[in-house]
This record gives sequence, structure tokens and C-alpha cells, in this order.
Amino acid sequence: MATTAITTDTKWWGGGKSPFNVEYGKLMMWYFLMSDAFTFGAFLIAYGTIRFSSTGWPDPNEVFQSFPGLGSGLPLMFVSLMTFILIISSVTMVLAVRAGHERNKAAVVKYLFWTIIGGIAFLSCQAWEWHHLHEEGAWWGRNPFVNQDGTASSTNFTNFFFTITGFHGFHVFSGVVINIIMLIMAMTDTFERRGHYLMIEKAGLYWHFVDLVWVFVFTCFYLI
Amino acid sequence: MNNEGVIGTQTDVGHVHAAHHDHDGDHHHHHETFISKYIFSMDHKMIAKQFLITGMVWAIIGGLMSVLFRMQLGYPGESFPILETLLGKWAKGGTITPEAYYALVTTHGTVLVFFVLTAGLSGTFANFLIPLQIGARDMASPFMNMLSYWFFFAAGVVMLSSIFVETGPFSGGWTAYPPLSALGSASPGSKTGMDLWLISMALFVVSSLLGGLNYIATILNMRTKGMSMTRLPLTIWALFFTAILGVLSFPVLLSGFILLIFDRNFGTSFYLSDIFIQGVGALPNEGGSAILYQHLFWFLGHPEVYIIILPAMGIVSEVMSTNARKPIFGYMAMLGSLFAIAVLAFVVWAHHMFVSGLNPFLGSFFVLLTLLIAVPSAIKVFNWLTTLWRGNLRFTAGMLYSIGFVSMFISGGLTGIFLGNSALDIHLHDTYFIIAHFHIVMGVAGIFGMYAGIYHWFPKMFGRYLNNTLSYIHFWVTLAGAYLIFWPMHYEGLAGMPRRYYDYSNWESFKQFVGLNQFITIVAIIVFATQLLFLFNFFYSMYKGRKVTSQNPWGSNTLEWTTPINPGHGNWVGEIPEVHRWAYDYGKDGHDYISQTTPVGADESRH
Amino acid sequence: MAHSDHDSANKNEVRNVTIILSVLTIVELALGFLMYKSFNDPGFMRSAIKGIIIILMLAKAFYIVSYFMHLGHELRNMIMTIVVPLGLFFWFIIAFLYDGHTYKVSRLTYDKYKAESANVKQPAIEKNEEKRSETGH
Repeated sequence: MATTAITTDTKWWGGGKSPFNVEYGKLMMWYFLMSDAFTFGAFLIAYGTIRFSSTGWPDPNEVFQSFPGLGSGLPLMFVSLMTFILIISSVTMVLAVRAGHERNKAAVVKYLFWTIIGGIAFLSCQAWEWHHLHEEGAWWGRNPFVNQDGTASSTNFTNFFFTITGFHGFHVFSGVVINIIMLIMAMTDTFERRGHYLMIEKAGLYWHFVDLVWVFVFTCFYLI
Repeated sequence: MNNEGVIGTQTDVGHVHAAHHDHDGDHHHHHETFISKYIFSMDHKMIAKQFLITGMVWAIIGGLMSVLFRMQLGYPGESFPILETLLGKWAKGGTITPEAYYALVTTHGTVLVFFVLTAGLSGTFANFLIPLQIGARDMASPFMNMLSYWFFFAAGVVMLSSIFVETGPFSGGWTAYPPLSALGSASPGSKTGMDLWLISMALFVVSSLLGGLNYIATILNMRTKGMSMTRLPLTIWALFFTAILGVLSFPVLLSGFILLIFDRNFGTSFYLSDIFIQGVGALPNEGGSAILYQHLFWFLGHPEVYIIILPAMGIVSEVMSTNARKPIFGYMAMLGSLFAIAVLAFVVWAHHMFVSGLNPFLGSFFVLLTLLIAVPSAIKVFNWLTTLWRGNLRFTAGMLYSIGFVSMFISGGLTGIFLGNSALDIHLHDTYFIIAHFHIVMGVAGIFGMYAGIYHWFPKMFGRYLNNTLSYIHFWVTLAGAYLIFWPMHYEGLAGMPRRYYDYSNWESFKQFVGLNQFITIVAIIVFATQLLFLFNFFYSMYKGRKVTSQNPWGSNTLEWTTPINPGHGNWVGEIPEVHRWAYDYGKDGHDYISQTTPVGADESRH
Repeated sequence: MAHSDHDSANKNEVRNVTIILSVLTIVELALGFLMYKSFNDPGFMRSAIKGIIIILMLAKAFYIVSYFMHLGHELRNMIMTIVVPLGLFFWFIIAFLYDGHTYKVSRLTYDKYKAESANVKQPAIEKNEEKRSETGH
């Protein structure tokens, strides 16, 4: 296992071993996430730049105020639900990774299953929201909403919203696919034969990253 | 001059021959088919060769394009029947059309910057040298390494196909600024050609990320016992920083391109505002900013020039130290300056945009940060010069190219200080001064670093030497030619001659340069022909060159020369050697060189 | 880190971080609601609330990365290789947003049409119709 006893005078950088005491796959996953952070960072910064160069911007509370079954006039409610779904699925992923460390196959399968359910639930929420906005006339290149001060708004509000949440949704989707693959591999005893569940850990890193990005997207689009 | 070096005292020829036919260490050697060995190979050495040869193919295509548009610049309006034969309807009557001219310029830039000097240079040498010099059997993930090459190959295929579409390849310059790149109605090249250009570049970004992550993980995790970070050869350090630059900056370009794709195809206006096109009318797109694209593009674009130059710097440091028979001067300073350049690379991007409408106050910070780059660059130059100082120089072709690199880097770097000042840039931007600057400091210097590496490691790659006479002809013609082509462009630029123009003969003020432009064109053709000579040398020597007979022909300290002459997959026979010292113990205590694998003696002096 | 009661410590940690993330999110939402109800015009309070929300967002990011992604338990050097490059975002954000602001100011200063049309109010429904007919066309 990765957590071997660590003596304090180990020469981490002397060669012949990982200086960080992690296998290369995890290292690569981390640096991939770094680079993906720059992808999302660039998107969000581009969004900020356009907002700073615009004379006005729609109020998100006026735009996102519907809840399925409850009608409109409920700002922030639906997106709160989405946020909590993602946080909870992140928690179940943590538990799945920990079960993997303990080589507890049943628990891994259970928590992965719930993580996948969370991911699908999030995607469904997003699909509903997109559909609802589309009904209201919003799409790429179409913006029915006016600026907060009542002046005409450019289409960039919806352009950025659909592009960035779409890109995030694409990440959630690939995360769900990865998790399903992990679930199948766990159920078919692939990890048992390998003797470790390190793959789950890497999938977990990716999943948490998706949650992390949502924290930023949520704040940038729905709150401020 | 003797290629073999005069040393060879520690080489063990018998052992090498035995190893040559033998299996490669504890690694698999089971029935390799042609496909698994040469096509979908997972051996880092084969992938490096694939990168190199693909890069060379692109260099020839890109170089030929420059010859073609130089014909137009040198002899505007004149008819060359060969051009019609080559380009068909794009050169009716033997004169290149304006559309074709811009397409050639654009594709030349894109191909040379990304396919040749990024994939061809760092792709080749990172793949080849990282496992060999750090003492690893292969990359951390050979499979991802293979994918990296094939994504690059796919990017090349898409780019090549864009040349053959009816409306022609993209023609808005390699930087692909909107609105020209965002609107299909802006120019013929902005139609299908631009879509293919974007797809190709997106594939290229994926390739570069797959490669870069692998290089970083390999360098950190897979070093052999004793190979601490400060014992790494400078090549590895340079490739390490190159990979970091790529991993952190290419994603930003990808984001910028995704927004551009939406602008092109889905009616968004991220980069578009207030546009009127003749024949189409006013566009509904409002609220975007074309400057935003420039920011996103140059956030990659600037690190990109260091992605090109850092591997060349690393190669030059290694080749120069080996052939001066002296330790590299100031190893830690070299390392620190590489780090400083890598950091500064990320914070100076807007110096490409001083006249775009960038806030001048913000611009002044970019001026300051840009001029700071002169410090680590100067440290490196002085360290190379002091490495040469009183060295026991062996003028191998690799060494000549290394010295040529330093010369180019100085010449081109000094004009960078001119351009880094926003006030001077008002006059110099978009003139031939820029062309001269970046071709010398990035293009030619990068190519020189690549040639230094090819000449130096060719024996390791193919077990044979390149022909020396041809190498020397190649070097001297290329060096003289590069200066003759690009030096006069400084004068043209200072006189205000703008870049990216099809024909200058309408301007009275540029008529003085008619002769000079013809001269540059003629030299460009000669230099291009000389590169074909190198190509001949390369492929001829691959099969017919003089065989390498000793394991360590250059008397070098680094680990790749402890492998068999033709190492198999797995690199070392038996155990991977342990490392006991840094890579630069040349001329120490009366020894000509001491390999990194030699244990430190009891009475050895400290370096 | 204690090795003995590693598991229960870990379990508590997950629970605590979940609670912290939930509380931070609820505070964020409350602030967003407060901003919507009481501070609808641009001004100091609105900016201050936005600032607090951004700080809370960063706190959430810290907890996710440090505990869920386990980075806090890695070796110090590894943490540095992840965290230090993120410092590039400072200049990235400042330069982009500052220049975006400049773009607006320059256009309002030098483009008379822009300066005038920036203040014209437009009823929501009309706007809606217009946009639809535009895309239909």
C-alpha cells in the first residue's frame, strides 16, 4: 500500500523512488487536473473579462428562479439543490475511496453506486434547467433577459452560461462514465486481482475536481 | 576531424557486441511485429524517431511554403510556370494569388511553430532523452506516450487535408485573430479551412498534454537510484520546464479556441462586436471583445516561444559541455535561470498586444516584466560563453550548431529588448523588424538547437554516424544563410515596411528594398536546398552511415551512453546503473571524463 | 498524523468537512438572497457581499482540495507543486479583468453611439420578441 512507514530521514529526492511517495498515475492525474483548472480558469476569466467590459449584466436571481413543480419566483432554490447533490456525491466518493483503501469490495460498490446516482441526478437537474431556459427563449446567441438596470443586454450572458455550464456538464458526464467503469471493474473483481484499489482513488480525484469546479461556476454564475 | 573522439578508454567493445544481439534486460522481447515495433510502438526511442521524422516532413512542407511566398515577395507579379504546376488555380499564370499567399504564410507559421518546433523538437528529445538520461526503462506510461504521437499525427493529417479543400486553408495568420478567423464570410480561408485548422490545433493540444504529463511524471518518479534532481543533466531540466509550460498554458489556448468555435458555428459573440461586412451588412453580434481572444491566445502564445527555446537551451548546454571537455559553467545558475524564464513566460503575454488597444498603464507592467527576461537570458549566454572559455573544443557538427545557437540567441535576444519597450513597439510592431526578431531568436535558434541534438544523438538513435563533410557544408551554409536572410529584415522593419503584405511595389518608400527582397529570396532558396542536403545525409546515414563501434563515442558522462549501441526496449541489459555524481565531471583530477555511474573516489577533489 | 485511530479520525474528518461545506454553502446562499432583496443597486454593500461570497468560495475550494482530494495529507513538496503554480492566476485575473474594464471605458469615451445606447432602457417583453424574430430571420 501507499502508506508504508515513513522514516524522517528518507532522501525523497535521491532517485530510485517517487519524491512524493505516490505512484505515477496519481501524479499524472493531479497534474492533469492542474491543467484542467487552467481550462476552466480561462473560461471563467474570459467570462469575467466580458462582464467587466459590458455596461450591464442580467441579475441571476431574476433569471434562475424556477423550480420544477413549484413554478417561478424562487431564486437560488434549484441551484442550491444541484449544489447539494454534487457535494453529497463527493462525500460518497470519499467513502468509496476509503473503502478501497480498506479493500472492502462491498462498500466500494455501494458508495460508487450512490456517487453515480448523484452524478446522474445532477445531470438531470442541469438538463431540466437548460430545457427550461430554452423554453424561455435563451440559447447560444439568444438572450431574452435584460440587464439589471433595464437596459438591453448582449447575448454574452447566455453564451457564457451555456458554454461553461455545458463544459462542466461534459466533465460530470465523463466522470459518471469513469465511475461506471470503476463500478464494473470493482464488481468483476479486477481490483481484487490487482491487489489494490488505486484506480478508484484517481477516479475520485477527478470526481472531486468536478465538484470543485462547480463551486466556482455556481458562485460566478448564480451568486455574483 | 575525428568523430569518434580521441578517448574511448573506458569503452568495452566486446561487452557491447554481446549486448547488441542479446535481449534487453529483464524486459520483454517477445515476437515484435512490424506494426508493434515501427507503427504502434510503445518504446520511447521509437516514438522519438516517429516524432522526429514527422517533424522533418512538416519542416520540409513548411519550409517549401516559405520559399513559395518568398518568390512572390522577391519578384512580385512575375510569372514562374513552376508555381502553377505546384499550386494550380492558386497560382494562375505562374503568379501566386493573394489568397494563396496569405494561406501559405499562415500555414507556414502554424506548421513551423507547432508541428516542427514544438512536437518535432521537444517531442523528439523529451521522448528520447528523458528515460535514457534519468535511468528509466521507458516513460511512466508508454501507452499515453504512443497516444501522444498519434494525436499529433492526426493533427497533422487534418492540417494537411485543410490545404486541399476548395476554399483553401486558413489564411488569417498563425495567431488566428478574430473577426477574420471567426467569420466564414470574412475570407475564403476562413471557411472550411479554418474549421479544419481549429480541429487540428485541438488535437495538437491533446497530444501535447498527453506528452507533457508523461514527461513530468517520468522525471519526478522514475529517476534511477542516486539520480537526485541536481544531478540531472540540463537537458532534462529544460525538458521538465518545457513540459510544465505546456501543461499549464495549452489548456488556455484550448478554451480560447472553444469560444472561437462557438463564435464560428453557434451564433455567439464572444469575440465579435460592431461588425459590418461588405455584401453581408451589419452583423447582429454585439458585446464581445476581439482583444479577449488576443489575451487568451498569447497566454499560451508567449509560453509557447519558451516551449520552443527551452529544449534547445538544454540540448546546447549538454552538447557544449561535452564537446568543450569542461563542466558546464554555473550549473545551479543555469537551472535557476531556466526556472526564472519558465515563471516569467507566464506573466508577459500582453507585450504582443501593446498596440491592440491594451490599457497603456497595464502595458507598462508588461514592459517591466518583459525586460526582466533579459536577466536570466544573459546569465545563460554568459555561462555558455564561459563554458567555451579555455575549453578543449571539439568542433563536431553538434558543437558547431550549439555555438551557432548561442550566436543566434544573442542576435535575436538583443532586438527583443527593443521590442519589449511599448514606446518603441508603436513604431516597430507588425513590421519586418518583428519578423527578423522572432525568426532569429525562436525559429533559427530553435532549429539550431534541434540540429545540435540530432547531430549529437544520431549515433545513439541509429548506431551510425552522419557524414561529416555534408554536416559541415550544411552548418556553414545554414548559419550564413540565416543571417543573410533575416539580418536585412531589421533595416526594412526600421524603415516601416509592414509584415503580411502581398506586394510592396505600390509604395514609393519601399522601392529601395526591391533588390534586397530579391537577395533574401535567393538566399532562402539556397538555404532550403541545403536542408534537403541534410535530409539526404540523415536518411543515407541511417542505412549506410559509418557504424558506431564504441559505446560512448563522444566520451560523455550521461547515462544514455552506458546502454548498448543499439539499445532494445528497456534500454539497459540487466540492472539499471546507479548514479553517483552529476553529469559534468569533465577534465576533473586529470581524467578526461568520469561517467555518472562511477562511484566517487576517496581522494577525489570536490567540484 | 496519528496512525493508531487513523480510521475513526478519518471518518470524523469526512463528517466535519461535509458539515463545513454545507454551512458555507448555506451562508453563501443567504448572502446571495440578502443581496437580491436589500442591495439591488450597485454600491459598496453589494461589492462587499460579493467579496465575502468569493472568500467563502475559496474556503470551500480549500476544504474540497485539502480533505476530499486528500492533498493536505500528501508530502509538503507535493502540495507545493500543486499550489504554487496556481499563483499564476493572480496576474492572469488582474490583467484580464483590468483590460476588460479598460475596453468598456474606452468605448464609452470614444464611441458616442455606445455611450448613448448604454442608457436606453428596454422593456423585457419587447426585447424578448425582438431577439426571437432576429434569430428566426
